[in-house]
Amino acid sequence: MKFQVTPMKISDLADNTGEWLRGTGAESDIVISSRIRLARNVARFPFLSRANVKQKRELEEVVRNKIKEAEITSDLRYINLADIDPVDRLFLVERHLISREHAGGEGERGVAFGKSETVSLMVNEEDHLRIQVIRSGFELKEAWKTIDEVDNKLEKRLNYAYSSRFGYLTACPTNVGTGMRASVMMHLPALGMTHHIEKVFNAVMKLGLVVRGLYGEGTQVSGDLYQISNQFTLGKSEVEIIEIIEGVIPRITSYERMARKALISENREQLEDRIWRSYGMLKVARIISSEEIMHLLSQVRMGVNLGIINDIEMKTLNELFILTLPGHLQKLEGRELTSQQRNIIRAAYVRKRLEMI
Amino acid sequence: MKCESCNKKHATVHLTEIVGTVKKERHLCEDCAQGINQQLAKIPSPTEILTSLINQVAPEISEMSKIVCPVCGLSYLEFRSHGRLGCPMDYTIFRKGLVPLLEKMHGSTQHVGKVPSRAGKELIKKNELMQLRNELNKAVEKEDYEKAAELRDRIYEVSGDTDED
Repeated sequence: MKFQVTPMKISDLADNTGEWLRGTGAESDIVISSRIRLARNVARFPFLSRANVKQKRELEEVVRNKIKEAEITSDLRYINLADIDPVDRLFLVERHLISREHAGGEGERGVAFGKSETVSLMVNEEDHLRIQVIRSGFELKEAWKTIDEVDNKLEKRLNYAYSSRFGYLTACPTNVGTGMRASVMMHLPALGMTHHIEKVFNAVMKLGLVVRGLYGEGTQVSGDLYQISNQFTLGKSEVEIIEIIEGVIPRITSYERMARKALISENREQLEDRIWRSYGMLKVARIISSEEIMHLLSQVRMGVNLGIINDIEMKTLNELFILTLPGHLQKLEGRELTSQQRNIIRAAYVRKRLEMI
Repeated sequence: MKCESCNKKHATVHLTEIVGTVKKERHLCEDCAQGINQQLAKIPSPTEILTSLINQVAPEISEMSKIVCPVCGLSYLEFRSHGRLGCPMDYTIFRKGLVPLLEKMHGSTQHVGKVPSRAGKELIKKNELMQLRNELNKAVEKEDYEKAAELRDRIYEVSGDTDED
């Protein structure tokens, strides 16, 4: 089995994205992706905040080797995060392959993932091992099936820290028990425009779920993209937690669809004008900030969903949300860029992708 | 000015006392002021007030404050200030403090999810029983006695004992 331990060329990845952005799967007009992660620790080792350099190195080696032995996918590659540049780490964060905390961490740590970027395994993040599966569309159950299998392969080789009372033991007690965070990324522009999004938040919170921005905890909402995930991890089984989330998502999608219909029936011309103007801006603008592009892409994405715009694929739009982020633009250009340089290159890149130079 | 307390010595200490919205000025000699000072000393210091506040908000802290994990060296206070545990053993060492915290965070303190196969069949059985008991409680709450009877039988079956507890 191939297992590239030496860093692959990250720039090889820069012009494409993982399978989860294909824009396929159930409800994929509104649900962009479904993600599950499991937090696991190795018994008889301290958690990372108390581990010394030697223990961290030992852990990294043990977990990396076990991942290799487990033969999770045939094309798994491993990147040691301590060996690569900050821009490369930012790039991996933008692709959702590692977390911001993992990128900003210290010492020996790494990530393994396959070509499809569906499964990623973070070594020495906040916990010794974090397994993640992302799938396109509303497919939490399928994501659970995949991650459960990966976890089973690994638990045969790694002695996880586990107690019958508290379940999988994690560095932060907010993750203990299942160690599972399941989240669904949703695109909700009409609920934002009609100011109904607060109602969604309140309803979701009552179920013990939380709403976060594109990059998880503490991140800002942009491009009308929201992540809905479980807060509690103890006292309910993995499947029960998934079912709670699965129960609420269809209600939010139908609410969003209703809000879109209301926008059309109230003032179709105005909505169409907004969408076409955004599309036009993407095709002609020479400078676009990262904040602006999220807004423009969000409007155009809704336009495609509503059948107003027909000449652009959903996959292309989904990918542009990621490919125009600062880390990606810098990898594409092969050099570090200032914010102003990025804004120019971002506009040029989008024009090229939309084939309207 | 004579001391207003003993009316003998010269008043050298001037105090301003505010009770509610009423401002009161007092002029005392050194000896009498000393007596007042001792009374004032009985008023709890800011640290004492803080401690009693902590006791009200998080009563486990003062009780747990001296506990240090012998495995990783993390103290309970360090855990409470950073929110991160030091090693898996902390869940046992800090159990008393953790249980109410977990209850607050998750609304539960008992894992009912996946069991690693290494943990063995006993654990799987224990967890299944736990889950069945939860369901039984729910059924009883809902007064669904038919379901409750089914669950009871299932519990007997899994535990292999008619009087498991």
